[in-house]
Amino acid sequence: MNHPLEPGLKSLAEAGLGSIALTVNGRPALLNCAPPTRLAHALRDELGLTGTKIGCDAGDCGACTVLLDGKQVCSCITAVAQCAGREVTTIEGLAQDGKLNRLQQAFLKYGAAQCGICTPGMLMAASDLLAGNAAPTQAEVEDALGGVLCRCTGYQKIVESVLAVAHDDLTLEPPTAGRAVGSRLARLDGVSKLTGAEKYGADEYPAGALWLRVVRSPHARAGFTLGDLDAFRRKYPQIEGFITAADVPENSFCVFPVPKDQPVLADGHVRFRGEAVLGLLGERDAIIAIPEAEMPITWQPRHALTEPEEALTATGDLIHDFAPENVLCRGRVVKGDVQAAFPMAAHVVEENFRTSYVEHAYIEPEAGYAEVVSQGGQERLRLFVCTQTPYMDKEEVARVLKLPHDRVRVVPSAIGGGFGGKLDISVQPLLAVAAWKLKRPVRIVYTRPESMASTPKRHPSRIRVRLGCDKEGKLTAMDFAGDFNTGAYASWGSTVANRVPIHASGPYALPNVRALTRAVYTNNAIAGAFRGFGVPQACIATETLMDELAEKCGIDALEFRYRNAIRAGDATACGQVLQASAGLDQCLDALRPAWAGAKEASAAFNGQAIRSGSRKRRGAGLACMWYGIGNTVIANPSTMTIGLRASGRVVLYNGAQEIGQGTYTIMPQIAADALGVPVSLIDQVHSDTDLTEDAGKSSASRQTFVSGNAAKFAAEDLRRQLLQLAGTAADATLRLEGTALIAGTSRIDLQGLTPINERGDLALGSGYFNPPTVPLDADGQGVPYATFAFAAQLAEVEVDLDYGTVKVLHIHAAHDVGRAVNPTQVEGQIHGGIAQGLGLALMEEYISGKTDNLHDYLIPTVGDMPRITTYLIEDAEPLGPYGAKGVGEPALVPTAPAIYSAIRAATGVRVRLAPATPDRLKAALKAHEAGQRL
Amino acid sequence: MHAFTYTRAADVGGALQAGAAQGSAYLGGGTNLLDLIKGDVAQPLRLVDINRLPLAQIRELPGGGLSIGALARNSDTANHALVRQRYPVLSEALLSGASPQLRNMATIGGNLMQRTRCPYFTDVGFAMCNKRNPGSGCGALQGRNRMHAVLGGSEQCVAVNPSDMNVALAALDATVLLRGPQGERRVALAEFHRVPGNSPELDTNLLPGELITAVELPPAWPNARSRYIKVRDRASYAFALASAAVLLDLDGQTIRAARVALGGVATKPWRATATERALPGRRLDEGSLRAAAALAVREAHPLRENAFKVELAQRAIVRALREAGGVA
Ligand SMILES: Cc1cc2nc3c(=O)[nH]c(=O)nc-3n(C[C@H](O)[C@H](O)[C@H](O)COP(=O)(O)OP(=O)(O)OC[C@H]3O[C@@H](n4cnc5c(N)ncnc54)[C@H](O)[C@@H]3O)c2cc1C
Ligand code: FES
Ligand code: FES
Repeated sequence: MNHPLEPGLKSLAEAGLGSIALTVNGRPALLNCAPPTRLAHALRDELGLTGTKIGCDAGDCGACTVLLDGKQVCSCITAVAQCAGREVTTIEGLAQDGKLNRLQQAFLKYGAAQCGICTPGMLMAASDLLAGNAAPTQAEVEDALGGVLCRCTGYQKIVESVLAVAHDDLTLEPPTAGRAVGSRLARLDGVSKLTGAEKYGADEYPAGALWLRVVRSPHARAGFTLGDLDAFRRKYPQIEGFITAADVPENSFCVFPVPKDQPVLADGHVRFRGEAVLGLLGERDAIIAIPEAEMPITWQPRHALTEPEEALTATGDLIHDFAPENVLCRGRVVKGDVQAAFPMAAHVVEENFRTSYVEHAYIEPEAGYAEVVSQGGQERLRLFVCTQTPYMDKEEVARVLKLPHDRVRVVPSAIGGGFGGKLDISVQPLLAVAAWKLKRPVRIVYTRPESMASTPKRHPSRIRVRLGCDKEGKLTAMDFAGDFNTGAYASWGSTVANRVPIHASGPYALPNVRALTRAVYTNNAIAGAFRGFGVPQACIATETLMDELAEKCGIDALEFRYRNAIRAGDATACGQVLQASAGLDQCLDALRPAWAGAKEASAAFNGQAIRSGSRKRRGAGLACMWYGIGNTVIANPSTMTIGLRASGRVVLYNGAQEIGQGTYTIMPQIAADALGVPVSLIDQVHSDTDLTEDAGKSSASRQTFVSGNAAKFAAEDLRRQLLQLAGTAADATLRLEGTALIAGTSRIDLQGLTPINERGDLALGSGYFNPPTVPLDADGQGVPYATFAFAAQLAEVEVDLDYGTVKVLHIHAAHDVGRAVNPTQVEGQIHGGIAQGLGLALMEEYISGKTDNLHDYLIPTVGDMPRITTYLIEDAEPLGPYGAKGVGEPALVPTAPAIYSAIRAATGVRVRLAPATPDRLKAALKAHEAGQRL
Repeated sequence: MHAFTYTRAADVGGALQAGAAQGSAYLGGGTNLLDLIKGDVAQPLRLVDINRLPLAQIRELPGGGLSIGALARNSDTANHALVRQRYPVLSEALLSGASPQLRNMATIGGNLMQRTRCPYFTDVGFAMCNKRNPGSGCGALQGRNRMHAVLGGSEQCVAVNPSDMNVALAALDATVLLRGPQGERRVALAEFHRVPGNSPELDTNLLPGELITAVELPPAWPNARSRYIKVRDRASYAFALASAAVLLDLDGQTIRAARVALGGVATKPWRATATERALPGRRLDEGSLRAAAALAVREAHPLRENAFKVELAQRAIVRALREAGGVA
């Protein structure tokens, strides 16, 4: 690999220096790069030590943390010259003789790595601490890890792991046959995440790959013309090729069949700041070095419609010709008669709410490469990319290139966090078009600002809700209207517009509901899929009003929710009668002791605070949610296959894309129990569109439920075939002993059997599952989802009345997951969802062009996280694999409203604008004290 | 990113020689400079690496003060026994800044010199920034200015000095020791940083080629109590919305003398001298402290999005005084 120089740096000879000698992981190393080259780049490019990650390249995330003479430093912001003669330790230096050290073992055992992209930084920061302090306190651990951001775990399991190093028995006990489901099996893909061996999007590329630099619009809305590219190339001969709109065979894409509204490269007109207009290809550093101001582009900026208010009323000024009033899509659920119901209600509350753009802030920016390979005399495109949806990528890239689907293969890299962001299309078509045009391998790694500017966010919302109940406190009517800013392109906007009205009622039985939504185009950042698809925004509005109504009725907030909780046998706003597994009441029951305790504790604290003149107040608050698992009506089947090999090992062809949520662990757990063998006998082929069947997207909390069923059915199918082969009864036990299959009393030598395919499978089980739904009519009546997850969360907060700051002290999270296939993973999802919900509530606000980095856009650090207590409710779903539903998105949904509820309990202030930053909360506190409404 | 060369200075003389050349910049921990270079905000022609100079000592001065070498790392300084004992406010301020990784690299000299985090300054994509490109205008005045200064701004620039350490040093009446082609000089911290006025491109009064060699702290007040309070959007690893460093000399519950400095709200580390003058004789009750704190912001000029900082600064002063005095 020869990228010795950072862009613009003079050669060593020019700099008058030889190579830089240092020690890396105990061995001498020579770096042949310019002295100011930053260490992270040198480690990765010069030494091939890609275990050290670059999340921001600016000191903001800590993913690049290494030890310099034993102390943690950010290698992205340290020059190699500063390391001359010194000792650098990276994640690759932790395991000794292939054996994980205790810290790594603890991370594995306690599930501290989810996507694993922050793990190298976490491990190094913790190593620094543990070297000087073998048994640190929790506060010391939190201090030491304070500079590494994690977007997946909520930090709790990381902190627990570091604390466990001193004392715990860290050996793993794999479950025995039939006991995999429900066990705390350690991640099966964990070791590579803990040693730095895992290959993420930026970690692998073919020799000679060209670098793709994407030139993007600095304007939110503009016409543009490209100048003379040949002349440009003569001036910058390092440019080996271009891609423009003219090079894209079918220049449009979208995650949905309609509207295919987003160009791969804009054609004469841009609709948001950050839109791709031109691609330059060449050697990385030389291409990056071309000044932005030199790009041969002439802009004609136009007035940008950045807010829905303006876009909705800008008559005739359409962002897309096909969308009148700039509305992408409307959602509607109507049941009963809202208009008639409100006048009859004993109590009615009404309020407006707003939420902001929220960035996914996965620590791994989008990255990957594409290459053209010839196979069977045909050219095919092979794409290595971080994605939540390899099968959709394949179809969309084939569409853009106008190729048959089978000419494209997507091989997902490990993915450093997605949360819905990598459910969209980013680098895929750009890489594909470039590689196809130049017939050379092409790679790209988005910079942090590029990732933040160009990829979709959570929809900002404006929501108005009116909610009424009778005098017994039974809800009678809800009128809900929400506008969602979907930005310049559709992305997942219509999913949001459709999912929200279905969920608007919350997990409550409500006879009269009207829920209307619009997804509105603007010239702002694209909004798409983000954990919860709009439901978290809606939940803030509706749960706040639940508190208000409870208060009006004089009923305790938990009791009020309990009374109204939807239960099996009740009908939803869509008229769907829930058949089973509606465990909200159980979630609330689980929280009762904590709720009583928290209310009492905060009252005691406040009494003391008032007496002592302290300006701190505490409060406890609640929020509930429900969440439909899988796509809204739209078919979302999964297929899994599983084979038995002559070696006596089982191979699961697992196309359920792992994104940190654990599908590469959970699917084998399910398959193992369905087949009746220990999970340790199962090997996997991970998702690869050539090798695995389509298991859909890692979205909508669907993988455990949908692909889990497919895995179960596949294993059951294999079991059936094997028992048949052995000629034994269908309920016989089945065992694998070495290369022998033992079924009931018969024993078959697997070595004697003939494989049925070229992979060597002796038998292949196949499973398919598509959740049963019924299309919705014009009023949204039907069966949108086969099952729902339920949850209630209780937040305890402390508000500083002087500053307007909020410290979340404790969150109790009760989740009905049907069945926790792997409790460690479920807890991990809950912790991580809570962390993101806390960010949404208190600090996260993306502003295009102003917060395109991780120091102006803040996400929670370890110090921001409360203690989290989880309560797993297992109200089995008959349709789910072993009763399981999903938890990925549900974890986040109730957190922000629970925190707001607690803030209100502490201060009396009702939060109506997310995030509640200190300045906003302070303003609201002042207004409240003055008896005003803000 | 543009071309630049690299020199490693072996001694102070060598550093000064290399630093005297047009376009040279000293490289300390690099945690600020390397990032600015990457973003094309700083465009030095030559990096002069001073990391090997013998300027990392922290030692007691005759007479009881403390000298902190310019290359002492932020974490080493914060954890130094003498700093913890005698100047805990400096420790607190340092530990409240950045992250462990950054503090392990960042130097005292570099921290004194760190540049503003104003996004209009750090993103060359914005045409307007008088600090980066004098005469181009100020994007923040009419733009997004929630994080900007309410004190010490001008029509040209309202960028905040982001350092926590500087606030503590201001309260401690530190002196900056400089070496330049013309020899050594000492500058009081209050005179070291500049308000933007009509030359926002100059953050400090450091002359071209001058090298910070140390920071000196005068002897600590006997029985001094102190506190650094930082209010921010998240618990760690974030710059201040407002911060206050205070030193107190108490006679029972009555203030004999006080020093108060503000951060996060001003274009330079800000001594609240009017507040300091009003404090002696007052007791530590909320009411009298509030009146004194109000004096600190009499000249505040809030912008569209940052009026909250005016109150936040006062609250931070009051809280810091009360906590220092042990009554909160
Ligand atoms: C993500 C992040 C978060 C941060 N958060 C905070 C925070 O919360 N609070 C806070 O206070 N700071 C914060 N910082 C800033 C940090 O404190 C500074 O980057 C650091 O102190 C700079 O020191 P350095 O030695 O690395 O300076 P360098 O980057 O080496 O240099 C900075 C400037 O000082 C000059 N310089 C360095 N040494 C000398 C010398 N001896 N004489 C003359 N000139 C010199 C350099 O030429 C350069 O112009 C943060 C930084 C990052 C990256
Ligand atoms: S990559 Fe170095 S701190 Fe983010
Ligand atoms: S596991 Fe920490 S960012 Fe994914």
